Amino acid sequence: MAIIRLLLTLQPLLFGLGFLAPLAVQIITRTGLTPPFGLTPMLAGLLVGGTLGAIANLRGSWI
Amino acid sequence: MTVQLPVDTATLRAREKAIAEKYIGGTPWLMIAWGLGNFTLWLALWPLTLTGALPLWAGFIIACVCVTQSYLPSHDAQHDIIVPRSSRWHWLNELFGHIVIFPLGLPFRTARTTHLEHHRHANDPALDPDYNVHAPSAAAAIWKSLQNRQPRGAGSKRYGQILMALGTPDAKAAMIDAVLMNLFNLALLCGLAWSGYAIEAALLWWLPRQIAITYINFYLSWAPHHPATETGRYRETRAFRSIWGNIGSSGMQYHIIHHLYPNIRLNWTPAAFRELRPILEARGCELGGLKG
Repeated sequence: MAIIRLLLTLQPLLFGLGFLAPLAVQIITRTGLTPPFGLTPMLAGLLVGGTLGAIANLRGSWI
Repeated sequence: MTVQLPVDTATLRAREKAIAEKYIGGTPWLMIAWGLGNFTLWLALWPLTLTGALPLWAGFIIACVCVTQSYLPSHDAQHDIIVPRSSRWHWLNELFGHIVIFPLGLPFRTARTTHLEHHRHANDPALDPDYNVHAPSAAAAIWKSLQNRQPRGAGSKRYGQILMALGTPDAKAAMIDAVLMNLFNLALLCGLAWSGYAIEAALLWWLPRQIAITYINFYLSWAPHHPATETGRYRETRAFRSIWGNIGSSGMQYHIIHHLYPNIRLNWTPAAFRELRPILEARGCELGGLKG
């Protein structure tokens, strides 16, 4: 029960890292974009997804 | 031709019931074909787009339609229209309800329990599970739909609060289904994304689902109840004319018939409305100038 509650509480962060991050990676790769500061597509994707997810988790909203 | 109506309410009710009963019963083959065909088409989009047989942009457009249209066949199952409770084949009604709503990511039992509460308490600010969709204008309703589904949005909490307050075995099952489905959807999306199909998952499921929820909140909840200030059998919902017509509004122009007689199948509500119209007028229903 505690694990389920934790998963539900962290859902936006999990969505950010679990879905938005690989989505960003695949968009970067398919469009041939070059991430700034020499970041690899994977690192850039994790940064984008993780940051958006963490903000949504803290604010309780994506918008 | 002017229809002369009896004035006493008991006779009006008896006539109303006699007309409605003509539209109740039988096997709703159109709804069955719609539900199963729609679900199969949505499933087929995955191999078709992954193999390149269908461009992803076309898959996205079709997926938006499929996910949006996955609710209403299940809605008929929520009211036991597919196979009635009295039949030994009622389990087919339940199976159908569970399967066809899958693209929307909403568990059947959660949808049914909250929807039946909506029927019992339509427009009641405290007890109607769908009350949060109400807003003063169409644009405000769309914005509210987006706000409601945020992680700490009012809509996200409301179904849970109402189910907790109900506390019945059905409500508890609906709660468990909602939590499990929520986590299952997340796991499936993440699994697809990390397997290299994030863009496909986004365009065939996640984004169509967001569009579908907005459409459903707007046309199935907000529009037929707007302004949602009255309660009672003949005033809690209304008929209205949609700029997209009856198909574009998923049959919701005749939602008043559904609230009066929830076991009339969706595709027969227009005919029932045309026949019941004089009685609805006599009852003071809001018909929005809809002639039939």
